[in-house]
Amino acid sequence: MRVVTDAPDPDAAHPVNGLDEVVHQRVRLGILTITHEARRVEFGYLRTQLELTAGNLSKHLSVLEEAGLIEVEKGYEGRRGRTWITLTAAGGTALAAEIGRLKQLIARVETTEPREDR
Amino acid sequence: MTANSIPEASDPRRLLSDLRALSRRVRLDQRMTWAALLVLAVATFVAIPFDWFGMWVRCHPDGSCEFARRGMLYYWMPALLVAYATIAMWYLRAARSRGLSARVLPYAITGAVTSAVFPAAWLAVHLYFESHPYPDSPLPYWYLVLDRLVMPWGTIGVTLLVLAWLERNVALLAFTVGYLALVLLVLPMNFGFGPPHFAIRVGMAVPQLIVGVVLLAGALLFRAAQRRQR
Repeated sequence: MRVVTDAPDPDAAHPVNGLDEVVHQRVRLGILTITHEARRVEFGYLRTQLELTAGNLSKHLSVLEEAGLIEVEKGYEGRRGRTWITLTAAGGTALAAEIGRLKQLIARVETTEPREDR
Repeated sequence: MTANSIPEASDPRRLLSDLRALSRRVRLDQRMTWAALLVLAVATFVAIPFDWFGMWVRCHPDGSCEFARRGMLYYWMPALLVAYATIAMWYLRAARSRGLSARVLPYAITGAVTSAVFPAAWLAVHLYFESHPYPDSPLPYWYLVLDRLVMPWGTIGVTLLVLAWLERNVALLAFTVGYLALVLLVLPMNFGFGPPHFAIRVGMAVPQLIVGVVLLAGALLFRAAQRRQR
């Protein structure tokens, strides 16, 4: 029988090794988080929330789109062009995995950090 | 958030905290709680004249009265369907104008289902007691509470619980628990306030008026809170 505990297994691979280079970046994680929460989000909303320029945001969206983590849909609302971003199933999985690894990393740091009172 | 910051060893905690803050921000921007409560308050106020004028009352010489709330029966099912459709449209339009999609559809669907199923259950119980005698002893308290639960005001409360869960809205959850306690345990929604202080129609209208005022007050409070948060 295997006992599962919250304490990290010291023999397991370090969570840093599993970090995905595409996802493990603050802005891209922010894009995935917002898109996950909103289901579907407009380019302008992302730009405002992440405080980015349009060019910078576009670059990050291209990286995520090429990796198949988001879908970008361009259209019009009246005469105004609109770009909508949706999270793909792979994007949702990648985000959940990344958050899991971050939590593991925090747990590992907390258990291996030397305590000052000892 | 800056574009090129790669988390350092001490960063994961801050990063997770930033992500949680972003999620919270999106949820706040998707909320239109006040609009849902306002629509439900209006539906409740409009129901009062339907109940008043649609009520069949026959009083006997001994002072006892029989009544049937026919207006309520015809009003509430379509009214709730229209209310939930209006709320869904309002949520979707507001979210879209902010550049988001809304999480309101499960609420509207639950509302539509309960607005059909709950009155059907209520009607079934009342039809049963038209051909079967009421028990001699006083009705058990749980029966009264269950009766109030399947009435429109109980239905509204149950579906508001779904909205609170969808929006991860603790304030709405607290409001709804208080609201449900009021309509299930405090106000006589099914029999109204009785004589000698109230005639039948007035006795029925007063609890509905109180519910409408509570929903309206909730709408105003949530509106004020949302304005402060933005």
